[in-house]
Amino acid sequence: MKDPLLTSRRILVVDDERPILFALRDYFSLKGLIVDCAEEMEEAQALLANVSYSLVIVDMRLTGFGGVEGLEVVGFVKDRCPQTRVIVWTASESSAVKREVHRRGVDRYIQKPAPLADVARAAFELLGAPAYA
Amino acid sequence: MRRTLLDRILAPSGLRILFQPIFKVYGTTLTLHSLECLARGPKDTNIEPASVLFEYVRRKREEVLVDRVCVGAVMREASKLPGEPPLSINVHASTLGRDHRFTDFIVESAASFGISISRLTVEIVEHVTFSDGFVFLNAIEEMRRAGIKIALDDIGLGQSNYRMALYCKPDYFKVDSYFVKGSHNDVYRRGILESVLHLAQKFTANVVVEGVETVEDLATVTELGIDLVQGFLFAPPMPTDELGSSHLLSGHTGLEVSSEQLAFL
Repeated sequence: MKDPLLTSRRILVVDDERPILFALRDYFSLKGLIVDCAEEMEEAQALLANVSYSLVIVDMRLTGFGGVEGLEVVGFVKDRCPQTRVIVWTASESSAVKREVHRRGVDRYIQKPAPLADVARAAFELLGAPAYA
Repeated sequence: MRRTLLDRILAPSGLRILFQPIFKVYGTTLTLHSLECLARGPKDTNIEPASVLFEYVRRKREEVLVDRVCVGAVMREASKLPGEPPLSINVHASTLGRDHRFTDFIVESAASFGISISRLTVEIVEHVTFSDGFVFLNAIEEMRRAGIKIALDDIGLGQSNYRMALYCKPDYFKVDSYFVKGSHNDVYRRGILESVLHLAQKFTANVVVEGVETVEDLATVTELGIDLVQGFLFAPPMPTDELGSSHLLSGHTGLEVSSEQLAFL
């Protein structure tokens, strides 16, 4: 069911795993959100430079070589779109990465593997629609 | 290995080319001045809109490669158009500052599609300071020698500033729609348009205004003395076949300012 609080709000999901993108797009679209998906860091940044998002859900490891491209996305959001909320959803177990993510002011950090319900709960809370949490 | 968006851009027909007419206003009649060649990203991707496409390309630092692909695609599409309309092609200043052979590439691409160099204007766009001023200036000089005209795009925005005007000494100053839309009831926007026109006159250049969408704004810019106009009021960006089958490329565009619009002019 679509929630009027969510309808027409736009979110960006950034992950290099297509099944995750499809699952999140399907799930959040059904709730009435407009969902954009990006697989690459530069694609996400190009979207963020041109589109206003309420929430970004980002993995740390994206198509690339460094393995922490998601950090760049978090930094971009916090610098350029400070009103946009950010969830990091990652399989990285590095404590250094986790510290850096928190230092950059991410709103939620969720360790993979985690059920989609955990991500959804965090997203709805940050979007001010906790009824779904 | 997974294909990135860049791979899709570089694939054959990865980019779509659209043409948006620029008109010259003569009294109440519009005649075709030239066509701005606009690239769109692969269909049904996030980078289909030009703004996202080129932001992505700049973040990948692949302006040189993609600008070359754009030039090739423009020449291919333009060669299918009837007549010989002048063409305006967007190129990053950073490409001209990095690619020593870019002018040669334009000349060779045009020749291979039978397009006369005298039809070409390069619109210089930039969002960051280019690194090599010498290579850039050399490229400008080479383009002039080859007979290519220079336009400075988005004058007043980002790095498209007075310094760039001095570097390029453009034939055309292009004004972004940001300064044009609503100029009829905004004294500050009109002030900026007047100042660009004044600057252009000192360079013996022409001014082209983008984003003309209302008769009121058209009346404002023509009153100021700007006669090169582009915008949805006249024609949107169009694919080759649609433009080719329209009347816009014939000697007379068939477009006239209506009597209702005349009241504003």
